[in-house]
Amino acid sequence: MITLTIDGQPVTVPEGSTILDAARALGLNIPTLCFLAGVKDNHPSCMACVVRVTGQWNLQPACATKARNGMIVASETPEVKAARKAALELLLSDHLGDCISVCQRVCPARMEIPEVIRLVAAGKMQDAIARVKENVVFPGVLGRICRAPCEMGCRRRQYDGAVAIQLIEREVANLDAAAPHRFVPTCAPPTGKRVAVVGAGATGLSAAFFLLKRGHKVTAFDAATEPGGQMRQANLPREVLDADIATIGAIGLEFRGNTRLGREVTLDELRRDYHAVILAVGPMAKTNHADLGVPATEKMIKVSAKDFQTEIPGVFAGGSCIRNGWDPARSVGDGHLLAESVDAFLAARPWQIAPKEFTTTIPKLSPAEYRELGKGANSELSVRELVSEAEKAAGRCCHCDCRAAADCKLRLYAAAYGADPKKFAGERRRLFEVIRQPGGVIFEPGKCISCGICVAIAEQAREPLGLVFIGRGFDVKVGVPLNASLADGLRKVGADCVKHCPTGALAFESAEPPRRTI
Amino acid sequence: MTTESYDLFLEKLLARTGRDESATIPILQGIQEHFHYLPEPVLRRASELTGITLGHLVSVGSFYHQFRFKPTGRHRLRVCHGTACHVKSSENIQEAIQRALLIPAGDDTSPDGEFTVERVACLGCCTLAPAVQIDHTTYGHLAPDTVEMMLDDFRATRHQTVSDVDAVSCHHQNGNKPEIRVGLGSCCMAKGSDELFHLLRHTVKEFGLDIPVKRVGCVGMCHQTPIVEIRLPHKPPAFYAKVTPEQAEGIIRRHFPPANLTRRLTRWINRTLEELVTAENPLEKLDQHQLLMESQPVERFLGRQVRIATEGFGEMDPLDLDEYIAHDGFKALQTALTRAPEDLIAEITASGLRGRGGAGFPTGLKWSHVLHAPSQDGTKYVIVNGDEGDPGAFMDRMLMESFPYRVIEGMMIGAHCVGAKEGYIYVRAEYPRAVSRLREAIRRMTEHGLLNHFRLHIFEGAGAFVCGEATALVESIEGHRGIPRLKPPRLAESGLWGRPTLLNNVETFAMVPWIIRHGAARFAALGTPKSKGTKVFALAGKINRAGLIEVPMGITIREIVEEIGGGVPNGKRFKAVQIGGPSGGCIPASLSHTPVDFEALTEAGAMMGSGGLVVLDEDDCMVDVARYFMSFLRNESCGQCTFCRIGTTRMWEILDRICNGKGRPSDLDDLKQLATFTEQASMCGLGKSAPNPVLSTLRYFHDEYDAHLQGRCPAGRCKPLIQYVVQENCTGCTICAQHCPANAIPITPYQRHKIDPEKCTRCDVCRTDCPVGAIHIESGGQKTAGHLHKESPAHLALVHP
Repeated sequence: MITLTIDGQPVTVPEGSTILDAARALGLNIPTLCFLAGVKDNHPSCMACVVRVTGQWNLQPACATKARNGMIVASETPEVKAARKAALELLLSDHLGDCISVCQRVCPARMEIPEVIRLVAAGKMQDAIARVKENVVFPGVLGRICRAPCEMGCRRRQYDGAVAIQLIEREVANLDAAAPHRFVPTCAPPTGKRVAVVGAGATGLSAAFFLLKRGHKVTAFDAATEPGGQMRQANLPREVLDADIATIGAIGLEFRGNTRLGREVTLDELRRDYHAVILAVGPMAKTNHADLGVPATEKMIKVSAKDFQTEIPGVFAGGSCIRNGWDPARSVGDGHLLAESVDAFLAARPWQIAPKEFTTTIPKLSPAEYRELGKGANSELSVRELVSEAEKAAGRCCHCDCRAAADCKLRLYAAAYGADPKKFAGERRRLFEVIRQPGGVIFEPGKCISCGICVAIAEQAREPLGLVFIGRGFDVKVGVPLNASLADGLRKVGADCVKHCPTGALAFESAEPPRRTI
Repeated sequence: MTTESYDLFLEKLLARTGRDESATIPILQGIQEHFHYLPEPVLRRASELTGITLGHLVSVGSFYHQFRFKPTGRHRLRVCHGTACHVKSSENIQEAIQRALLIPAGDDTSPDGEFTVERVACLGCCTLAPAVQIDHTTYGHLAPDTVEMMLDDFRATRHQTVSDVDAVSCHHQNGNKPEIRVGLGSCCMAKGSDELFHLLRHTVKEFGLDIPVKRVGCVGMCHQTPIVEIRLPHKPPAFYAKVTPEQAEGIIRRHFPPANLTRRLTRWINRTLEELVTAENPLEKLDQHQLLMESQPVERFLGRQVRIATEGFGEMDPLDLDEYIAHDGFKALQTALTRAPEDLIAEITASGLRGRGGAGFPTGLKWSHVLHAPSQDGTKYVIVNGDEGDPGAFMDRMLMESFPYRVIEGMMIGAHCVGAKEGYIYVRAEYPRAVSRLREAIRRMTEHGLLNHFRLHIFEGAGAFVCGEATALVESIEGHRGIPRLKPPRLAESGLWGRPTLLNNVETFAMVPWIIRHGAARFAALGTPKSKGTKVFALAGKINRAGLIEVPMGITIREIVEEIGGGVPNGKRFKAVQIGGPSGGCIPASLSHTPVDFEALTEAGAMMGSGGLVVLDEDDCMVDVARYFMSFLRNESCGQCTFCRIGTTRMWEILDRICNGKGRPSDLDDLKQLATFTEQASMCGLGKSAPNPVLSTLRYFHDEYDAHLQGRCPAGRCKPLIQYVVQENCTGCTICAQHCPANAIPITPYQRHKIDPEKCTRCDVCRTDCPVGAIHIESGGQKTAGHLHKESPAHLALVHP
């Protein structure tokens, strides 16, 4: 047995163990990308696992350095962390892909656009409406009046026009509105908490919807007779708005019209009768500041940027009353976040707006690369009989979001180490390229970090062609030799390679990605 | 070709190489040699016949630069981009060749399929810089406007081949008989020594003389080649430098009058008639080329040198076994075989010999590790590392070409010490003459029964700098991509095929016989406290007397540059030496008192490296030098470790940006950060030392980086930052206008010419061609140092066997 010290903690491991083994025995999380025990454990390459061993002038890869008696290892020092971060940043600088698609990233309502599109393309309309309503309670409305930044950002726009995302959303909503059994979300058991929402516009109703789903009782107050706020003034068929609002009514929204804050009801009363209050009163220009009872400037109510709470505890505000101008998608997004914040407040759980999700970004591509991207459209759809405009539109989506975003080790460690994907961005980058077999494994060399795990797996299995390293230096690439097909390259171990690929370079084309946690 | 004929070819090849995976590289080399590239059907068939997976063949083939997957043109033209060539503007040569052959950008083969133009890291003939190799012919001292001449010459003479091996003479002479010696190292050969050698033999025969004309190894004075030495009994030797074929006869006539009166008369009549026709007497010029040993420059060049690895410099026929033995050859081996390994290792340890490959690991200690390392089946190996890849270095090539027996003797002593019965000499692919001489040496030794108890193989590298790294070299012999292994375990414990392996550099082994013969104390008496003995350097770049030198450790850089090398030519200012190749660094002139010593050089931010020493003058831009090395390293990195694979490219991009005047304020910080991490977190020596060129230039030439960030290249090197400006002394002769390949100079006779900066490609043709030196390089509105000296176009050439 060997005894060594890592970050001041002694640990004893069997002869032949590596520093990584010892660290894992201690429960320390040393990042590894290129390591696969028993397959690729002696040719370190990613250098994300470096540690400082006392007495050595340079850093050592923990995954392949054998532990020795009396070794003193530092794994979490600023120097080691900086080196790991730099390694990750260099890998990111040569990693071409969008972890999260642009459409999704720019959506103020945080709709999971790529997944919704894929459900629509697969003809699963019921699932699609459910997925939409996980974030957007007004698909009918937004399907008509949203500014649709998603379509501006759509990768396909550069190629032959953006995917008609708004149309898809609208069609999904139409189908639901016309269905004999409309979509009704399941709600959590009642919590016994009461929330007052002042202002029944896009923000307020959206917040009410998500609070109701979580089992809270919600009462919405509005000066108008009907709920809808500014959406009532928008250029919309009345039935569309009513249909969207009906979903909220179906899960128990209590609405009190003709009730103006500061007249028919005061903030103090609401604070007394309810566990939390949300102010979603719309543009401040149309509001009498004195009526509100919360500190506000000329243009907006003062809220904490972390959790939408005003200076009065338990009173939250969001939507146009904290912003310049009205953007219905933004209001819908605010409503959702307000609900999450208030839900946490009611449970006395700390909460704050999550930082932006980590993502790498595809730079401007060449025309040839855009053509390549265009090939990513759903090929099965073209052979199926098309049933609707929505499906036709959805079939054009190129799936530029990463199939591995939820479990990509590069992404997880990059986020954990605060790596900046653009830090070492250079002029030379990998090409956008997708090598696919229908229904099988999909290989995106742009996302490959040359870790060599798939190469080692294929070699161990004596694949006649396999995936091999071709070339050397910066230009080294993993590929099937002699331009043979991926199917020929990976006859035996395709699934294994996908399983162990630390990024989304190798994936199953049809795999539905698991939900992201970061 | 049909599958059947493939089979015929492959069976023959495989019979020679074997069919194991370890034969991968020789198999690929055989295919490449035959087809000039690796055709897919042949690879498929080779895979079927050997059981080596196709994936492996392709992957290994793609790692080494020697192999191509595309057909080539009929001739392979390789432009050297070694350090010495780079500082003498090899980029301009490359461009001129591409232009002359009408090769479109992004392609490498001329439209008529005649030439394929490649970039090579270093041809190892740095004293000829800038140099180009076409098939087996080397041309040196090129300038953009002599490129056409070179191509014409090649087209006119490509059918002539002069063999090296058939010319081997076996005359063994004692000091009292006359003989004529011609240096036949690769540099000399490239300058026409071989042609001269044959001419001298022919003339001697014609004169009816019985004087041996003998080829000898490298003479070291590469700046004077071709060199002819006349040895006469009881007289000091006479040297003739830069001898042209026309002068051959004159030299013979001067020292050895034709024996037969009739022949003499015939020759005289013919000669006189010829002179009447040509009205030129080449003999008139002869005197100026005669070098007397006592003359100062030669004395200064040779005087400080001490011969250990290069003992018998310019005296011995490299392949004459008898002569080697007469010069005490194999005496050390004989002695060694009667002594116990521990005793010999103690001798080596006492000598203080350290590895000459660069890192300076104590040789005795290494041998002792291998001796004591247990081997599963008793097998141990010894390897000579002759993969001299540093651009700007050619010492090992010279040692292998000129002293093949000595290298083998040192290796066999090492093998005896550690208990190895089998060994490899790993020679880089770019050194065909070293390979052929070593092969011939082995053949002769086998013939004489000298290799009865030792299996000796030659392994030809395939063009990968990283294979100079010991573990990558071993991977390469095993038939893999040259990917370094993580150490420990060291090769001494687990090397070739997992067995304890002794690996030393060519020069290290070449020193061993001398140490055994003369004893450790005499070796240890030379040098500094920690660096003993001598070191061989390849002296090149901006230096008057370039060449190959062996000097005692501890000699200062100034002594090497100024005394031995005769300083910087053309009145330029000595700026720095680049020492140690890509792993080394630049030592500024202000630190030229630094002694040549492992520790002192490392301290100064350079490295002994293998011994390339390139002198830089004021025309050399240090940012450009750093960029050059980073470009080299990014191409030569094996591509394994993140920092080396991506970091070197990012550093190179930053340096490139700075050289192009597009540097950003944050660039220097990013450079430093990348350099630090690449040094700290790369696995092998290549990666760990890769940042040295950046770190050392940042350390000593920070002002040049700052100037570039302000849009100015003080040396006048960086093309986007310079302008060519015609001065007042222009006579309006229109030569520049006629020669400008970009039509950037309107033809205005008798008027001062003007260069259109928009059209100008900075190819340097106008400036080098201007008869009155009226074209200057300016940068940032200031005059620059940049006035590259144009070499007199030297034509040279000859054929590798």
